[in-house]
Amino acid sequence: MGIFNRKKKSQLYLSDRQELTLFGKFGVAASHIVLMIWAVVIIWPLTQMVVSAFNGKQSGYLILNREFEFSLKHFEHLFQETLYLNWVWNTIFIAGATAVLTLFIVSFTGYAYSRYRFKGRKASLMTIMLIQTIPTFAGITAFFTMHSIIASVVPQFTRQMMLILIYSGGAIAANTFILKGYIDSISSELDDAAKIDGCSNMQIYRLIIMPIARPMLMLIGLWSFIGPFMDFLLPRVLLTSPRSYTLAAGLFTLVNDFRTMNQPAFAAGGLLTAVPIVLLFMALQNQLASGLAKGSVKG
Amino acid sequence: MNVTMKKIGKKYEGRDEFTLKDINLEIENKDFCVILGPSGCGKTTLLRMIAGLNSITEGDLLFDGKRMNKVAPKDRDIAMVFQSYALYPHMTVYDNMAFSLSMRKERKQLIDERVREAAKVLQIEDNLYVKPSDISGGQRQRVALGRAMVRNPKVFLMDEPLSNLDAKLREHMRVELVRLHKQLGTTTIYVTHDQTEAMTMASKIVLMDDGKIQQVGKPEDFYNRPENIFVAGFIGSPTMNIIKGSIQEGKFVSDNKLMTVTPHKEHQESLREFEGKKVSAGVRSERFEAGGKYGDTIDVDIEVVEMLGKEKILYCRMDDGHQLTISTPGHYDYDDGQRHSFGFDLEAMHYFDQETGERIN
Amino acid sequence: MATIGIKLYDEIGRTYDRKNTYLKELAILVNQYHNASKEEKQKLKEEIALHKKRKQEHPYYKMYNEFKSKEKIFKKELKKEVQNFRGNLDDDSSSEVKSLKTKDFKAKKTMDFYEHYSELTYEADFKYHEAEMERKHYPELMGIIQEKERQLLEAMTTKKQEAKQTDQKKENQNFQQFKNDKKEELKSNIAELKRKRKEKIISEKAKKTGIAELKKRYKNALQLRKLKNPVVGNNEEIKALKYDLKIIPKRMKRTLSADLADIRRKTPVEVEKIHPVFAFTTFLLPGLGQLLNKQFVKAVLFFIASLFIYLVAVPYSLGYGNYQGEGIAGLINLAEGAPRIFRSLIFMIEGIIAILLSLIAIGLFYISFRDVYGVEKKEAKGVRSKNWYETVTNISQDGFPYVVSMPAFFIVIFIVLVPVITTFLLSFTNMNPQNQSKFNWVGLSNYQRLALGEGLTGSVFWYILGWTVIWTLAATTLAIFIGFFLAIIANNERIIGKKFFRTVYLLPWAVPAFITILFFSIMFSPNGALTDILTGIFGQRIVIKNDPTLTRITLVALQGWLGSAYVFLLSTGVLQAIPSDLYEAADIDGATAWQKVRRITVPIVLFQTAPLLVTQYTFNFNNFSIIYLFNSGGPFNPTRYGNLAGSSDILISYIYKLTMENQHQAVAAAIIIFVSFGLMFFAFLGFRNSKAFREERL
Repeated sequence: MGIFNRKKKSQLYLSDRQELTLFGKFGVAASHIVLMIWAVVIIWPLTQMVVSAFNGKQSGYLILNREFEFSLKHFEHLFQETLYLNWVWNTIFIAGATAVLTLFIVSFTGYAYSRYRFKGRKASLMTIMLIQTIPTFAGITAFFTMHSIIASVVPQFTRQMMLILIYSGGAIAANTFILKGYIDSISSELDDAAKIDGCSNMQIYRLIIMPIARPMLMLIGLWSFIGPFMDFLLPRVLLTSPRSYTLAAGLFTLVNDFRTMNQPAFAAGGLLTAVPIVLLFMALQNQLASGLAKGSVKG
Repeated sequence: MNVTMKKIGKKYEGRDEFTLKDINLEIENKDFCVILGPSGCGKTTLLRMIAGLNSITEGDLLFDGKRMNKVAPKDRDIAMVFQSYALYPHMTVYDNMAFSLSMRKERKQLIDERVREAAKVLQIEDNLYVKPSDISGGQRQRVALGRAMVRNPKVFLMDEPLSNLDAKLREHMRVELVRLHKQLGTTTIYVTHDQTEAMTMASKIVLMDDGKIQQVGKPEDFYNRPENIFVAGFIGSPTMNIIKGSIQEGKFVSDNKLMTVTPHKEHQESLREFEGKKVSAGVRSERFEAGGKYGDTIDVDIEVVEMLGKEKILYCRMDDGHQLTISTPGHYDYDDGQRHSFGFDLEAMHYFDQETGERIN
Repeated sequence: MATIGIKLYDEIGRTYDRKNTYLKELAILVNQYHNASKEEKQKLKEEIALHKKRKQEHPYYKMYNEFKSKEKIFKKELKKEVQNFRGNLDDDSSSEVKSLKTKDFKAKKTMDFYEHYSELTYEADFKYHEAEMERKHYPELMGIIQEKERQLLEAMTTKKQEAKQTDQKKENQNFQQFKNDKKEELKSNIAELKRKRKEKIISEKAKKTGIAELKKRYKNALQLRKLKNPVVGNNEEIKALKYDLKIIPKRMKRTLSADLADIRRKTPVEVEKIHPVFAFTTFLLPGLGQLLNKQFVKAVLFFIASLFIYLVAVPYSLGYGNYQGEGIAGLINLAEGAPRIFRSLIFMIEGIIAILLSLIAIGLFYISFRDVYGVEKKEAKGVRSKNWYETVTNISQDGFPYVVSMPAFFIVIFIVLVPVITTFLLSFTNMNPQNQSKFNWVGLSNYQRLALGEGLTGSVFWYILGWTVIWTLAATTLAIFIGFFLAIIANNERIIGKKFFRTVYLLPWAVPAFITILFFSIMFSPNGALTDILTGIFGQRIVIKNDPTLTRITLVALQGWLGSAYVFLLSTGVLQAIPSDLYEAADIDGATAWQKVRRITVPIVLFQTAPLLVTQYTFNFNNFSIIYLFNSGGPFNPTRYGNLAGSSDILISYIYKLTMENQHQAVAAAIIIFVSFGLMFFAFLGFRNSKAFREERL
């Protein structure tokens, strides 16, 4: 009995979709080829970088011929001869502080703009958004000097703190808008129920709204954390001593400055920096895509 | 606890007119009071004012004689069930129900007792530790009820709680709510636009339209003695037939002259002063006399016959095209296309002054 | 002559009769005056003046003054009586109850006194009703507190007893036993669930929620069991009672305050003053006006604001406390003639900060003035001023958003606005290599230089602008095209390995851009690997980085590579959200695959992603990293681009070079302003047309 069933099954067409014509089959094959080509276009340069990081035959410069010898000496150089570890710590510190500060401010403003109708609400949001279309570099001339002025009053104010403030400030409007849109979708009947159950304004915010908005908050926090990792311009403008560089500024010195040039070490450093971020992106792929889509759908 | 409203008014800032004005209402202890009305009539605003979610512009709100205008919602000893249940999605059912008590820092023992008790009554004991998104609509509704019950409030406020349920479940919950009310004996104020719910559940109905109270009374009163045309048209399904006309020589004559009704003895007195004036007559669909042999009758053509099993609803037209809805027992024989004569049950005639809409008899 | 209302009004518009007959008569006269003909006006004017002269002999004032003197005596005596009463309370109730009893006593006396004068003046009426309301609340509050205190006492005694009687050790043992039992139960239940999952009887989600549920049950059961221990249970009770004793009086006092505030709203106030004179004291010292209005706590707040104004804003603007600058004056003179160490830029920035502080100060003046003015005007109408409780409630309700947004505004103003304004002002100076430490105002000459293409810095401006525009359009469009195209292909349901492709296509975006750009830069350098490969393919030595056109093409291609990932991700997200019924309906209508793509997929995705795609254009317009990191904006071409810029520089990298490497900050500032205005303009257009704004959902 079993053999008969099996035979019959293979002759059955089980899919809901239409059968493909020859043209259709050709199209599908072509699609796959195109996709594969692009995948190669992406993977090849990246693998080259990975390979170079481990290629011991290179000394100051990168070579991409057949000669390959596995070694970790570039990584050693990175950790011992350069200030790589400082840069890592700096970047994490700045990114983390930015994320925390941004979350703190934006969670309040997002809630206020969503739940309260107050005078100047629309106008102020529009104004801030307009002001923030002015790119941050518009102020580079001033940032450095401003830091000196503030440091004269509060000596503990480091350049890194200035950087953190600039990063946070630059994202307030956009993040408020996004968070506001998300909180808008939380029914205000929950607020009413909480009021009757005995919550004050702050308690409604803390116990009800924020836990529900957590996915969006995490997304915003993630964005604010990654931003400083990727930014090159501001650290270059603001940070003066190599010890205080971020990864972007620091790794750059491994490439452009003849005195500290070491391209393979750069490849190694780049690899080490890229891996965690790529993993992070992978893990949160779904959230990112849906978050972006939501933002776009809301307009 | 009884709830009294004296000359309550509500005016929103920025608007010139009052949304609600001069609302006077007395709700007794253990009442099941239904505030009924079409959308936008102000009933939800009124409920929210009783709850304290909207402010009261003028007038007094009294719970057992104590003035509650400025008391915060959490201090009013009320509980509210929302249309969309408003369950906290990130908490379990247990935590949802316990929330209000834990905000008051009640003893955990007490909280647990109350929650389990309410869960037992509402038959949701098995779902205590799941999140609201994992249970069905009907169960969520019961959780919302449970959350309200746990507070042991003096007044239940309900804002169209059944409107999100399917028809069968709605029927079932109607009975459940009434049973619950009898069991707990708490004063309940219930807002809805569905007159069936009002008629079946209420011990007192308050019909509102356009920010004003149209009538207050028992369901029977609403059905048998509507105070004005609006009420007459709102309550009762199928809708009451309203025919425009005037009083000529003591009789009601419709404008199209096709219908004449000699009023019942008891109604003649009050109709006397409307001689010559415009009057509307109202007849409920089940109060037509089949047979049409004696008294005033009207001839109609039957267009559509709706077969409901226990009754038939005949959608008819008078000769000038005016529609009448007549319901008859199901075992009577009627078909569309037929022409019949119907008489009137004179005791059940309603007469309204066309100008004011007010009831005459 | 200013009008005086014949009746008094409250905030909602209800009217009240005047009790002050003198004022009433005066009001009537003034009213007549305003409605009178010219001849009558003179006569009435004299009448009014006479009336005012005879104010003190008016019968009303006779009675009023009598009342006032009696009130003085009453208040003195009341103080003594209250002290006596308090001293005589000898029962052992708590201090809370005692103070309530005293307050109740005081209220009763107050009621008795003011009752007689309610008709005379609203002040008495007000005090009477206040006291009446208090007497309504206090007895109930006392009752509740006494009951709770009694319960607490009971619980405390029980505690002592229980502590003696309970064998704590045994209790703990029992509890441990219970805990272990429950734990075993939990473990076996969880194992059961896992087994079911293995046999595929239940889904993964069901297993997860089931386990979570079991764990919660377990925790709850433990908690409850703990409470069975009488000592623990009792402690809970005591805690709860203590909390009640703290909260309930607070709650009822809040209600009382709210009810008293209601009386304030309903009892009008009669004042003689018509013109809001106190308001003008604000300009001297904010807080004075509030003091004169008898709103004391508000006055304190505004005094603090005054401190800010006179101790921070004013001195700073005048130059004190500046790091180097001279406040607002420094903005004008820009450190001209000052010693070497003083820099114009610092003067300028501090001047801007000074202006901002002054604006804030002016704002505070304005708020204070409005406040006092409003209160006075309302009082003239009859509206009683708000007491502190009402103000605080207002602020906590309506003011919450303002208070909570303050950090955000603060940061935006100082971190975003000040630099921008600095740059704006800089563009009107001549800060260049010769004028680094000190520079002057030069008006529009920088803009002129750019517009006319003059000078070292200006001549290249238009070339760079042209390349920037081409770059933006080409690179972004390429990226969008690639990403979009790939998304549509990859989204086809018949493609296998979708997850693989999606993951790989994410990489260009996931890997930090500066790493990939630098890497490509290395590989395309004269002795780099890719250069070697290209040389191999084409037979001749091709060094991308030495040729402007090749560099530009490579840059566009590189950005296409980088940017397509983001567009791909975005498009995929939207594509997945398109409901399949659209396609099915199209199938029934007979559409081919190409038609479906062209008429359903493309419009929907474009529409949904349009706002974000627009940001991609602005992003590339300002894409400093790729231009600078790849080839420092090169290759160098002095004949065309002078010494300052390279062939592939875009505006932003040019600005960077001008500012950081060549010290032409003023010209750079002018370019920034020019660029920013353009961006703001486009953004504004974009906002206006965006769905959210049009639907008023902003």
